[in-house]
Amino acid sequence: MKFIRVNMSEKAIRVEDVPQDYAGLGGRGLTSIMINAEVPPKCDPLGPENKLIFAPGLLSGTTLPNTSRLSIGAKSPLTGGIKESNVGGTVAAALGRLGITAIVVEGQAPEGELYALRIDEEGNVSLISAQEYTGMRTYKVVEKALDVYGEKTAVLCIGPAGEYKLAIASIQSSDTDGHASRAAGRGGLGAVMGSKGLKAIIVDRRGKSADPVADPEAFREAVKAVVQIVKADHMNAVVMPQLGTAALVAPVNSMGAFPCYNARKGVLDGWEEISGERMAEMIKERGGNPTHRGCDQCVIHCSNVFVDKDGKYVTSALEYETIWAMGGMTGIVDLDTIARLDNLCDDIGVDTMSTGVAIAVAMDAGYKAFGDGGAAIEMVEEIGQGTEFGRILGSGPAAVGKHFNHDRVPVVKGQSIAAYDPRAMLGLGVTFATSPMGADHTAGNMVGAYLEQILDPLDPKGQVETSRFLQIAMAAFDTMGQCFMASVALLNPDSFAAFGKVIEAKLGTQLGPDEFPIGLGIRVLKAEREFNRKAGFTQEDDRLPRFFYEEPLPPHNTVFVISDQEIDSVFDF
Amino acid sequence: MKVKVKLYGTLSGRFPGYQPSRGIEIEIPAGATVQDLLAHLEISESQRAVVIVEGRILKADDEMQGGFPVNIMQAIGGG
Repeated sequence: MKFIRVNMSEKAIRVEDVPQDYAGLGGRGLTSIMINAEVPPKCDPLGPENKLIFAPGLLSGTTLPNTSRLSIGAKSPLTGGIKESNVGGTVAAALGRLGITAIVVEGQAPEGELYALRIDEEGNVSLISAQEYTGMRTYKVVEKALDVYGEKTAVLCIGPAGEYKLAIASIQSSDTDGHASRAAGRGGLGAVMGSKGLKAIIVDRRGKSADPVADPEAFREAVKAVVQIVKADHMNAVVMPQLGTAALVAPVNSMGAFPCYNARKGVLDGWEEISGERMAEMIKERGGNPTHRGCDQCVIHCSNVFVDKDGKYVTSALEYETIWAMGGMTGIVDLDTIARLDNLCDDIGVDTMSTGVAIAVAMDAGYKAFGDGGAAIEMVEEIGQGTEFGRILGSGPAAVGKHFNHDRVPVVKGQSIAAYDPRAMLGLGVTFATSPMGADHTAGNMVGAYLEQILDPLDPKGQVETSRFLQIAMAAFDTMGQCFMASVALLNPDSFAAFGKVIEAKLGTQLGPDEFPIGLGIRVLKAEREFNRKAGFTQEDDRLPRFFYEEPLPPHNTVFVISDQEIDSVFDF
Repeated sequence: MKVKVKLYGTLSGRFPGYQPSRGIEIEIPAGATVQDLLAHLEISESQRAVVIVEGRILKADDEMQGGFPVNIMQAIGGG
């Protein structure tokens, strides 16, 4: 239980015990509560006062599967508010095995200096020069790090976009095969890392100094019960291993809620060509891997390895949100081009979602035609090259809208929406509008509630309540390091109780009746909302862009109809 | 009544030679419900099937109407 504080101005590393105030926290709960306590809300996100915090979940590195999720937090240069960006791969478990609760990066190295933070098998921490990595793309960074430090190494790094401090720059994480393919994409935290002068964090995966589990026997039993629930879940047991998250292309298009051509329509012409079913078929035909373990300790295997016509690696995994942003929003109905764009974004180090939407806004403004895959690739390459237009694109959809004086920009708090149109899935609009993160697909995603027929996506009834419940629950699961897919299987009172037993056995404490996930989730959201308020956010920032209220979306031809008053009641707690 | 059905997710697995671009055409009695359709296709409850016609999810006891393509998929959470 230790914090590694790294001061980039002084090149000083301090190891400290975790203060009592933070006991029982990890992941998002820790990053958000710490940022609210330690970061001046009105600071320059790219200045020395901002802090970049890397926190594995409370349960990362334990034997509970699907807990290799890392929360990265800071004040976001994209939204100007608090940000937690969540990434899988291998780093969270590696940090957990070393008993590291968080790495807190403070200060700022002098302009032009670049460093890597190295943590070895014994947990020794050092800052080393990374000057030779300057301008390097992420796949190469990981490859070089693994060459130098061995295969049992986990890497977090930024690409050129992070070094340029662009507002949609990502932090990439290495997967189980050593590809820089997993992204903490949202909110521009790659730019914060670049502003600190930190190119990479390189962690040995063989650590053996994990924090002790208070009651190992009870923990084993509790883990068994949770695994049983996750494995019995049809989505996780059957659909995810075969199709991955891309399985959503079919239902969301069939429901007329797939925002495409920059959210002008709800059904993409030819969507079956970029569906999860088609993707799995192509991967199988070409000898790729449709059922890939991308993250440490995963039992779901929602990842895949997408290969080209010659069977050569392109990306892992091709995911629903990327297929939507790069294919739906841009009208590019070609999985090979989408996969190439995914790889390029990962390599340059930008969020695929924000990048796809930024391209779509440019296309909508008439800069290029919808469906022009070649133009999209050239545009993303421009980000990597740091051209003038590339820097505008890399600053996100709102910057592109401003550049072209185009007001159809689907963002909330500066961050793009995800693959569900608020006009045809009202509850997603509630979450997009109110999440302290800006529009976000994991904060409180209700597509499952629609498909389960718990709610009607076009009827305002129950949307606010369900968004509130899910936002609270997900904030709690994000604190544990539990992956989104596994969490979806655990969203009911019995599963909460089963999961609570894991926490109790880990900490050796008794949870209160409403402590997990409700009490914990509310505590996290309150800290996030408080930070945003102090940063200058008001209720007016919890609104969707005008066109969602005014421009009907075909085929349902509906608009977003949840009132401002109802939106403002989401966080009545 | 003839109904054109397309299967998504892992539902096409038990229909050898299923072509995604064409789907399948089946004959169901007039007045058949969503539940009857799923039973006809031998899709069990555990497969979490969802029937969508013209952009709307149908309930188990809704009556099937001819003339509209039917998409059947599986309930999953967000991704």
